[in-house]
Amino acid sequence: MSIITIATTKGGAGKTTIARLILARKCIEGFKVAAVDSDFNHTLTDWLSTAARKYAIPVHQELDETKIVPLVTELDQQHDVVLVDTAGAAAQATIFAIGCADLVLVPMQPSSADVVEAIKTVNLIRSASQMLRREILARVVLCGFRPGTNIAEHLDREVVKANLPVMAARLNHAVALQEMSFTGTPPTVGTAGSQATAFLDEITHLGALPEPKEIVKLAS
Amino acid sequence: MGKKDLASVTTDLSALASMMPTQRPVTPGAVAAAVAISSPATAEPAPVVPLRPKPVKREETIQFSLSLRKSLRKQLASLAADADMTMRAFVLNALKAKGLSVRDEDLADLRKERR
Repeated sequence: MSIITIATTKGGAGKTTIARLILARKCIEGFKVAAVDSDFNHTLTDWLSTAARKYAIPVHQELDETKIVPLVTELDQQHDVVLVDTAGAAAQATIFAIGCADLVLVPMQPSSADVVEAIKTVNLIRSASQMLRREILARVVLCGFRPGTNIAEHLDREVVKANLPVMAARLNHAVALQEMSFTGTPPTVGTAGSQATAFLDEITHLGALPEPKEIVKLAS
Repeated sequence: MGKKDLASVTTDLSALASMMPTQRPVTPGAVAAAVAISSPATAEPAPVVPLRPKPVKREETIQFSLSLRKSLRKQLASLAADADMTMRAFVLNALKAKGLSVRDEDLADLRKERR
């Protein structure tokens, strides 16, 4: 129904944090979600089988690029949301995961290397879009920023200059997002909860996620 | 621009993907292994016959020439010399860095073998 791929050619940009947030929040809302982990570090797989085990989200670790499209196609038929987390490097599996997506999210931390790699990734998505003769929706997600700092303001100008399609909602630096890696629980209240909700709402408005349901309490 | 069609993704993107590295686990190639041939007729231990590795067919190499500015040729020679590489190996290394599939054997410095 909805396929979201998270990709950037740089490691440590926030791909798995975004994946955790979307999977956990959508699962709590009662949607059928599934994950494909094509990152050789299998961080998402580890998280879903430990800290986030309570959600029982099926995760398929798949590094073989020849199996990505058939796997995502099959999962798409059985789930409301399929999320593909990719490796922090340009790889064949990433290209095919981009080709399957309704939306590609490109996380970007406040560093010059992140900007460079975000530009490369967006260009890669544009190339894939041309080859598929369809528009692949792509959005850069600004992650780990500290609002009001010089570097945040500088990068705001850089992304405009680079003509990157940036999401209005950001995932600024928040302890609750870091805690999620240990607790498995995504932020739903406070500043972090509000920015997470705004982030998911924007993706929904882009048509890449189903409308949110009322959050149901999970038995822990 | 058309609609999403997952059935065509692999075909349409294969050319773009082929420029990227694969993450697919590599299966070990033919490895010479010893196999015991059982012989129930004798009590002697069966001889151990090592398997010969299959001969690998070498891909044909071709000549490829291109014209460049004299200054660029000079620069290439200088950079290759600094890196203690042949110009050929230097260029192939650059192509490899761009994602082309260049084998390690192609990067071998043949000059040293001839000396």
